[in-house]
Amino acid sequence: MSDLLPPDFITQAGVHARAAAAGEPDWLVAERMDALQRFGELPLEVNPLFTLYVDLRAARLAQTVPYETVGETIDPQARVPDGVAALLEVREDAVAARSLSAETQAAGVVVDTFANVLRDRPQLIRDVVAGGESLPADDKLAQLARAASVVGVVVHVPAGVELAEPIVVRWAVGAGGRALVSRTVVSLGAGAHARLFEEQIGSGAANGSQALWSGTLEVALGEDATLDVAAEQDLPAHVVSFVNRRANLGRNATLRWALAHVGGLVSKSRIDNRLVGRGASVRQVEIGFGGSNQVFDLTSYTTHVGEDTTGDLLSKGVFQDRSRGFMKGMIEIDRSAHGTDSFLGEFGMLLDRKARSVTIPSLEIDQPDVRRAAHSSSVGPIDETQVFYLMTRGIPEDVARKEVVLGFLEPVVARIPLEGAQQRLRTRLDRKWSEARAAAPAGASGSGQASAPKSGSSSGEAAA
Amino acid sequence: MAVNTREATADRRAQFDFKDEIAYLTETKRGLSRETVAEISEIKREPDWMRDFRLRAYDHFVKRPMPTWTGGLDAIDFDRIIYYRKPSEREEKSWDDVPPQIKQTFERLGIPEAERKFLAGVGAQYDSEVVYHSVRQELASLGVVFMGTDQGLKEYPEIFKRHFATVVPPEDNKFAALNSAVWSGGSFVYVPAGVEVPLPLQAYFRINGENTGQFERTLIVVEPGAKVHYIEGCTAPIYATDSLHAAVVEVVALPHSKVRYTTIQNWSNDVYNLVTKRAHAHEGATVEWIDANTGSRKTVKFPSIYLRGRGSTADVISVAVAGKGQHQDTGAKAIHLAPDTRSRIVSKSVSKDGGRATYRGHLKVAPGATGVVASVRCDALMLDDESRSDTYPYIDIQEDDTTMTHEATVGKISADQIFYLMSRGLTENEAQNLVVQGFLEVFTKELPMEYAIEFNRLVKLEMDGALG
Repeated sequence: MSDLLPPDFITQAGVHARAAAAGEPDWLVAERMDALQRFGELPLEVNPLFTLYVDLRAARLAQTVPYETVGETIDPQARVPDGVAALLEVREDAVAARSLSAETQAAGVVVDTFANVLRDRPQLIRDVVAGGESLPADDKLAQLARAASVVGVVVHVPAGVELAEPIVVRWAVGAGGRALVSRTVVSLGAGAHARLFEEQIGSGAANGSQALWSGTLEVALGEDATLDVAAEQDLPAHVVSFVNRRANLGRNATLRWALAHVGGLVSKSRIDNRLVGRGASVRQVEIGFGGSNQVFDLTSYTTHVGEDTTGDLLSKGVFQDRSRGFMKGMIEIDRSAHGTDSFLGEFGMLLDRKARSVTIPSLEIDQPDVRRAAHSSSVGPIDETQVFYLMTRGIPEDVARKEVVLGFLEPVVARIPLEGAQQRLRTRLDRKWSEARAAAPAGASGSGQASAPKSGSSSGEAAA
Repeated sequence: MAVNTREATADRRAQFDFKDEIAYLTETKRGLSRETVAEISEIKREPDWMRDFRLRAYDHFVKRPMPTWTGGLDAIDFDRIIYYRKPSEREEKSWDDVPPQIKQTFERLGIPEAERKFLAGVGAQYDSEVVYHSVRQELASLGVVFMGTDQGLKEYPEIFKRHFATVVPPEDNKFAALNSAVWSGGSFVYVPAGVEVPLPLQAYFRINGENTGQFERTLIVVEPGAKVHYIEGCTAPIYATDSLHAAVVEVVALPHSKVRYTTIQNWSNDVYNLVTKRAHAHEGATVEWIDANTGSRKTVKFPSIYLRGRGSTADVISVAVAGKGQHQDTGAKAIHLAPDTRSRIVSKSVSKDGGRATYRGHLKVAPGATGVVASVRCDALMLDDESRSDTYPYIDIQEDDTTMTHEATVGKISADQIFYLMSRGLTENEAQNLVVQGFLEVFTKELPMEYAIEFNRLVKLEMDGALG
């Protein structure tokens, strides 16, 4: 890690300067300093289970320069797009869009930057982040964001408010040699319902060297609140991304994640679901679709604290060419968590010889009084029986293969809340498949594989 | 329905415990140094290469840090351990020559006269030396070698040197290094090409003598097309201070051979049991580890199989019962290095009375190992909410046509099961025993009958001490 980022990437003076530029109060500066110390002390991976499976070698960020300030280039005439409750877009070092629909505004919903919210309602931020509770204390990269963020986004939905349309938060980055470090804080009051769509995409700027996006999603859900989060990471191929998402769920709160990791060079994602209130429930589906030399490092923790909580997590990865996927997960059931129902599934599909899939689904159980505590994992090639079935229906083999793969990923795609974005993701996955197939050496995969079956049983048990 | 687990599963094994006073003929002084290592080699009159090997291993042991991924090993005081003890002067060839005190212990361990006739051979380890071996004439005539490892080094130097430490080098881990430095006893098994050993080879292991370390080293070489089943069973008396058992088992399964290695372990609750067990499976070979872990304060053991040859097969069944104050950190590893290899790992653990059962496994498919089929299944049963169960599988797949499945579940005995069995006339205690025995049956059914009976008895003892 010492050589992952340049030595002066994050310094005490730099952190103070950023805090001052944003007019931050003392308590938040103290938070940054605490994080800075942790960042300096922590190894890249503290969990001894995962230590050997952190591979950021492809990241070359030693010359990366972080943005020191984020300005505004908001068009005052811009209206919120149709079908969207609110939009906030950060493009490189500027807030490029911030708009709320009339109803959203009337309902008291906040979608704004830290700097603005700190002026009027600092408590919206403080309630969630104070004491570092909203990010894992043992995660170096989470502490990086907590210490060095140059822009923060706040999403707040007051108690009882139900939003029909999604809130969109968009990050557009990719300027070579630059790093954008950010935080996003989301809170829902009791009984609130909201959908959040988070996008990481390219800004169009690039000059050859790698770029970094570092972010968080720090979620606090009140009693009976329901939040759907869809996130699509489709960064350009030279961007490294680190994201920490952590959610604290109150009594009977419900959180549903749909996460797609498609772009970028190295993507390290960690999710911490903390089911604190009785009856809280989280459902998570996550896909990684790798090609060329991409690396996806996807970690999910579910911690059951309250009684009768439910966790249902599913991670799926399709890896082509030389791409690598690390799917790591942990279900922790505390002694207090009677009546837990928890499942973690990690399923990989390898399409080329040089692709690699590592799955480490773990359990740490202190309370056996569970409804379910289980995980399952599989790795396999394309299910030949599915391909065969489609071919018997008259679909050509290459199309059949594509459909089986895209079908494997579809459960996440189907949960992207904006129709346009959903269709765009489908097209993107389709193109990614076609490009990799065109680039693959003949016989390395695809139809070549069918001619060299190793055994009859190698098809029937593939991941589904 | 409330099940009073605490009362039903109290540990009363101590009442079945025993130990004997033994006069040791030779022993090294407490603690470990280069001199002690050289002294052990000298006492045993070993060839120079073995002395050098021991010293190299010792140097590595000193350098190597203590593993941190499993807790509690810092409590081991290496300076208090006696690394070598010799209870009698020579290998005994006949039961009548075994010293009466030792014989008495074996009788209490339950090696009856009739069993000796029935079974292929009995290699009994009493502390640091094999004191008794009887290999039936029939086996000897087949060319099968089954003797103490020290004896194997002397009598079959070429075979020994060719295979020794090729599967588990001293640099593998800290405790493999320790074993390599001070090893003593264990079994040496050699099965010539094409020979099928008709009955299981058995070795009874036993630790005795307070603070005696036991560092046996077993080497099993099975030539092409041969077949053998090796069984080890362990019991140990309870002592007040900690005792260390750091063994290494190496199995070389040459092309198209079949090896099954069965362990039933019941260390006393003060033993640290840190074992490196590994097999190399060559082309078309099959290796099976059937491994049960009960007792001990802490067991760290992951029987592993390196599938080196095309079409080789690995099968591991591992069960663990963790009671009060115990941590069973067990599991299995299957490393696929060749095409068309298969592995199956089944793990069952029971934790109770604050015990902790951990499954830790590694499944790896290396580049070039095409057409692999692998499965890992872990089930854990927790009998109370003081206990803990962990599952840490590592699955690293680097070939695109691998088929791998893994599943793990954790749960408790359902009140419905107990209620149903009680409605059929069983006591609560009996009902719980039956459920646990049923849970572990995947293991028990792989055992020869007399071992299955013994194991069920062991589980019952672990569960409630209500035997008889």
